[in-house]
Amino acid sequence: MSGYAELHCLSNFSFQRGASSAQELFERAQRLGYRALAITDECSLAGIVRAKQAAKGSDVALIVGCELRIEAGPKLVLLVENLSGYQRLCQLITLARRRADKGRYRLLREDLQTPLEGLLAIWLPDQQHEDGHWLQTLFPQRLWLGVELHRGPDDAGRLAELLVLAEQTGIPAVACGDVHMHARGRRALQDCMTAIRHHLTVAEAGQYLFANGERHLRRLDELRELYPPELLEESLRIAERCRFDLDDLKYEYPHEVVPKGETPTTWLRHLVEQGAHKRWPKGVTQKAREQLEKELQLIAELKYESYFLTVHDIVAYARRQHILCQGRGSAANSAVCFVLGITELDPLQEGRRLLFERFLSRERNEPPDIDVDFEHERREEVIQYVFRRYGRDRAALTAVVNTYHGAGAIRDVAKALGLPAQQQGDLADCCGRWTDRLPSPERLREAGFDPESPALRRVLALTDALIGFPRHLSQHPGGFVISERPLTELVPVENAAMAERTVIQWDKDDLDEVGLLKVDVLALGMLTALRRCFDLIDAIAASAGPWRRYPRKTRPPTR
Amino acid sequence: MRWACILLPQLALDHALRQRDDPQAPLALLSGPANRRVLQTINGAARDLGLRPGMALTAAQLLSRDFATADYDLAAVERCQQFLAAWAYRFSSQVSLHYPRALLLEVHSSLALLGPWPRLEARLRAELDSLGYRHRIVLAPNPAAARALANAHDGLAVAEHELPRAIERLPVNRAGLPGEMATALTRMGLRQLRQVLQLPRAGLARRFPPVLLEQLDLLLGHRPLGLDFYLPPDEFATRIELNFEVESHQALLFPLRRALGDLAAYLAGRDSGVQRFSLALEHRSGAPTELKVGLLAAERDAGMLFELTRARLEQLQLPAPVLALVLTARDLPTFVPECRELFDPRPQQNQSWDQLRERLRARLGDEALHGLNAHADPRPEQAWRPHPGMAPPLSDRPRPGWLLAEPQPLREPLAHILTGPERIESGWWDGGDLRRDYYRVETRNGQRAWVFRGAGTDEPFQLHGWFA
Repeated sequence: MSGYAELHCLSNFSFQRGASSAQELFERAQRLGYRALAITDECSLAGIVRAKQAAKGSDVALIVGCELRIEAGPKLVLLVENLSGYQRLCQLITLARRRADKGRYRLLREDLQTPLEGLLAIWLPDQQHEDGHWLQTLFPQRLWLGVELHRGPDDAGRLAELLVLAEQTGIPAVACGDVHMHARGRRALQDCMTAIRHHLTVAEAGQYLFANGERHLRRLDELRELYPPELLEESLRIAERCRFDLDDLKYEYPHEVVPKGETPTTWLRHLVEQGAHKRWPKGVTQKAREQLEKELQLIAELKYESYFLTVHDIVAYARRQHILCQGRGSAANSAVCFVLGITELDPLQEGRRLLFERFLSRERNEPPDIDVDFEHERREEVIQYVFRRYGRDRAALTAVVNTYHGAGAIRDVAKALGLPAQQQGDLADCCGRWTDRLPSPERLREAGFDPESPALRRVLALTDALIGFPRHLSQHPGGFVISERPLTELVPVENAAMAERTVIQWDKDDLDEVGLLKVDVLALGMLTALRRCFDLIDAIAASAGPWRRYPRKTRPPTR
Repeated sequence: MRWACILLPQLALDHALRQRDDPQAPLALLSGPANRRVLQTINGAARDLGLRPGMALTAAQLLSRDFATADYDLAAVERCQQFLAAWAYRFSSQVSLHYPRALLLEVHSSLALLGPWPRLEARLRAELDSLGYRHRIVLAPNPAAARALANAHDGLAVAEHELPRAIERLPVNRAGLPGEMATALTRMGLRQLRQVLQLPRAGLARRFPPVLLEQLDLLLGHRPLGLDFYLPPDEFATRIELNFEVESHQALLFPLRRALGDLAAYLAGRDSGVQRFSLALEHRSGAPTELKVGLLAAERDAGMLFELTRARLEQLQLPAPVLALVLTARDLPTFVPECRELFDPRPQQNQSWDQLRERLRARLGDEALHGLNAHADPRPEQAWRPHPGMAPPLSDRPRPGWLLAEPQPLREPLAHILTGPERIESGWWDGGDLRRDYYRVETRNGQRAWVFRGAGTDEPFQLHGWFA
């Protein structure tokens, strides 16, 4: 049996540690003939959906996992075997992340005392070797000893030492790579990231840098030189056991939106009937009836009923609280949204031609996206309503992955390479804002730099590699994920920068991929202005008579 | 209270003789205006030639030409007194220069530490002999009596109850009285103080100025004598003039040894060491040549200071002949003597590490010796920096004790490889990217070497260092 599965690999979602994207990692793993690749970012599953997309296009199987450092304890890699293991991993990551500030985590020994079936563990011992027995009690028959050799001062000695340890403790040994990048050539970027992480220049960060570029996806013949064959085979055995796929995740809408005795379909139809009568009190035209039927059929086919019901529920609450709100965008093309009161524009009015298919169609193969604006001063009330109704464990905001853009990347790289602050600023200016392209040589020459100088070429090469890499997770302004089961069964939840806010580790593109639906609760300042306007008008109208004859047409029905 | 008086009858002469190579040669100190130089003092050898103090120089030169002359330098005498006070400070914390050319020491408090008086006296005499000063030492219950007794005696120790008898036996002209008073008393037939003391005080008070009675009271201890005590200065400076212009280093060594001996004596008195001092060599014209000596720790051993200064002096180029030597030391930290074990396992010839370090610095130059400090860089060449202190580099990776400045091809035949390859790929940020596989190997001679070759290649090994 030949082949290898890499079980300890960081992608660039281990911020400022991993120097390659999941796409690059899977491409290389495919080229080298790996059987499987585990993406084990540090206490995070933020990059796992992208990894799944990358794995889809290759023959290399994806194993979901993460790397964890226990406080005052050993370092572990946890790999997911099945769905319940995945759920336990999400809960563990949530626990560790919620305990610490944004961007950090704290995992204590007690946290591992919960049952951990479905998770396989690889122990990465450093200098102390005492934790073996304790870990064996936590992961009976599911623990391995990770042997990582990177052409250090005495590989042979280290290997012998670890094999003896494996023998003594009875833990089988497996070969791992501690992979931080896909190819050896990325070590410059990886060193830069290490320097950035420690707020030093690369020249000063010597003690934190890796001494060589061995922590990449190595060729099989190189691995055979370094590791005994049993250790490589053991990796394949572990990979065999990990059968979990993200497609196994089952997402359910919260059941509250549908009252007892009804199904989402029947309830939606009921609400649509009610709303149609309210909107067209003079009677529902034939055209409107046909349109509504068409839409309801499509919605039922694509199974998006609960989504509409959830949005309707939020909007109904806002209306009850007299918070001004309205839907916008392509949702305005839908008659169902109109009758449910989500949007305010009648798509069927004479003279209007609004295409429903722009909003939802079979061919688009995308979930509908209903953006609802609320008056910004009172949006917080709506958000709190969502949290209250569904609970903090079942509703959370989505994340946004901030990536490196041109100016930020070049500034960080220049700082890491020790350029003075003035030059960092000048280079960032050359890049311009909101661009993901490197500055042109003419632009650099204008600013007084010599694009041919080796120092500047280094800066540009590293910046080019860094642009597009994720930088950190931040909170989406108003995108919610609400689920029937606790969210931590689907995805880990961590603290946001704002107090009392929690985010899931996936962003909206990831949610689309996995099939979770998101509801946007957005704020619009203009609505606040309008609200104040109406209040003023009403106050005046209440006191002065002629104002009551305010023309109907221009006054939108808001109450 | 017991006071010792050390009288230095020939201070100026002794001081001049100290600076000369041969103290036995005839020497006369001259004073007086330039057109009429007079012999102020002479030494024994000059006396043998027939010279006498007070003789005019021209007259003396008629008698003989074989004697050396030097100026009777009051300033030099003053400095000499200060130096001797500093020396005496080792033995007593109350030293006074109240009387010219004499040292008064209160020794009662020192006797507990330095032994009974005979032992202390012997030590004082021995040291004064080695410094080269003639002396007379007397011990008495009060300072004035000690000084007066020193006029007539040497080696006398008078206890409290013996004092009146000793004072009585003093001749009047040796009692410390003003000259005319002593002459007047002698003419009256009073030759010994006993006779003066028998006279009624009222009568003496009427006929003589009050200073007579004061002096008698001082001598008998009925009146205390107010003394100014010597305070050691915070710097040391001494100047030695040479007899003739000196061009070679060899001839400078003798005065240098003297100057450093004085410095050591001074330091011992102050209980401090010296860490920096400077030697200025004066020429006839132009600025003096400065030799600054800096030590890594405070020292005060005369021999060691001499060795170190000599080594540095030998490397100095003298631009012009030297006329005088000035040694100044301003920085005098407290001296902490080296701990010595009771049974010293070191053989006698071994030097301590500090001494060796100083000698190496003296011989090779101050910049030649430095410690190592670790620098965080994966590349071995960049992993250390010179450091003035002794901080040893810490590393969790085994590194050779001796790293060659430039890697060389390995010529010794290889026995086998011990560990390796250790791959080092780093240093891209300053253009010094290196990619090497390092191995620890044992050669056939049994030496352990650190060798490398290009990463992943089969090139011949390059030697980069040796393990101990």
